[in-house]
Amino acid sequence: MTTMTEAAPLSTTPRPLTRRIGTIVRLLFANPWTAIYTPLMILGVILLMNIAIWSIVRASIPPEGDMDSSINGGVSFLFIYMLVVAVQSMNQAFPLALGYGSTRRDFVAGFGVFALILSLGYSLFLLAAWSVERATGGWGVGLTFFGTYELWQAQWWEGFALSLLAFLLFFAIGAATAAVYVRWKAGGMYVFWGGLVFVGIGGAALATWLDAWPQVGAFFAWAGLVGGAAWSLIVTALCAMAAWLILRRATPSGG
Amino acid sequence: MTTIVEARGLTKRYRGITAVDHVDFQITRNTITGLLGRNGAGKTTLMHLLTGQEFATSGTITVAGESPVENPRVLQHTCFIKESQRYPDDFKPKHVFAAAPGFFPNWDADFAHELAKEFRLPIDRRIKKLSRGQLSSVGIIVGLAARAPITIFDEPYLGLDAIARQNFYDRLLADYAAHPRTVILSTHLIDEVADLLEHALVIDDGRILIDSPVDALRAHAATIAGPAEAVERVVASLDVIHRERLGGFVSATVAGLTEQVTRDARAAGLEVGPVSLQQLIIRQTGGSPTDHEEVTR
Repeated sequence: MTTMTEAAPLSTTPRPLTRRIGTIVRLLFANPWTAIYTPLMILGVILLMNIAIWSIVRASIPPEGDMDSSINGGVSFLFIYMLVVAVQSMNQAFPLALGYGSTRRDFVAGFGVFALILSLGYSLFLLAAWSVERATGGWGVGLTFFGTYELWQAQWWEGFALSLLAFLLFFAIGAATAAVYVRWKAGGMYVFWGGLVFVGIGGAALATWLDAWPQVGAFFAWAGLVGGAAWSLIVTALCAMAAWLILRRATPSGG
Repeated sequence: MTTIVEARGLTKRYRGITAVDHVDFQITRNTITGLLGRNGAGKTTLMHLLTGQEFATSGTITVAGESPVENPRVLQHTCFIKESQRYPDDFKPKHVFAAAPGFFPNWDADFAHELAKEFRLPIDRRIKKLSRGQLSSVGIIVGLAARAPITIFDEPYLGLDAIARQNFYDRLLADYAAHPRTVILSTHLIDEVADLLEHALVIDDGRILIDSPVDALRAHAATIAGPAEAVERVVASLDVIHRERLGGFVSATVAGLTEQVTRDARAAGLEVGPVSLQQLIIRQTGGSPTDHEEVTR
């Protein structure tokens, strides 16, 4: 080889952490249909169907007749959907991000920001929708879709806090579940779900055996609506921590 | 010339299988190195170790002098394109290209689109619905347009036809000339890439068999063919890595060829022909019982 000018050495200054995390967030939002447009459209369709059915029911009873307001499960779809988004995004974007030179740490942090943005965004959306619902007397037909009767009586921030806590919980559970799959594949799933069933049934059995159900009920009554939900933060934090610890040693081969 | 990748005693064991077995090698910065070997030889594991995706059982591997594991200082310079790369189910190629600039500061979006056109990649179709070859071209386009200082291709051409593969090699060479970088190309289509490679690392059964500049490999290997007696006389002092007999006629593949031998052979009326890189490697990995006993898994 003849004389060759030596290239400048590679920079060993890492890009700023915020840039690296931003890159992961952008990757997870690259196709906004999955996490934003599709669920909102489905929710819109469910709402329209509910309004239509509710109008028919309304029309067939006398105007002064009152109807029991019941809990409407339409919104719970959104929480389950976000659980699925969490599982899929983590499971499918992780190997791609690693191939493109991301560290596991940056990926998990980026995923956390992604989950936080969606949780806040959807909680604000539900709050706004709930306000409209209240202002229009239940979309003009007395439909309680975004809130329950109890929530209508509550403060606005209570509703917001409840949904935020719930979204965070669902994202964390999804992330932890996906992390188990990414690291240990199908074998990990069997152990994980088996263990979860064991813990769930075990806990219920323990409460029954100790005759402690009244205390369990009393605890939630004491903690109040938001207070009781706030305890979910412990589960959320544990799941998030587990997701990080599990992914830290995950490899593409699962070996 | 600077060393960019260095492995020392590098070993990776999975339950009972030693995928990479006490390997030592260096890769020079801004060269194209071929990582050659059979399926299951340990190529992919080696590249996973190089990008910090797998953890070494023992030994070390460094990139720019540092361990790549969870190290954003060196990983920011890498782009690893593998044949089995998974993409999110809802992604279209345009989503991959939109996310890429964050990972690769040198990303050239115009180049990516030009390549997409050349490879006839529908960028607005779901990746799940792409053909095997189109899926491969997504990887190839990212690998080229990323212009990452350390670009690693692991058999990136699955399902691509010969024309598209040639296109990839041409583009790689042209872009490498314009934007020098370290390219590591793992393949078993050795002859196709032979003209591209500056250095060959041949791995078999987890061990490095050949670690040599390609020119040197080629220059010192040849086939000498002719009547058996005359051939044997000429090659007596040489390392014969393969012998083919047809009646009284012998064709010997030799290493360590000198000009003197070539002259002697020609004078004796023997035929001295070139050996393709692929032939040479097949002979050395499979044909030489002294160096290596072939193990098939």
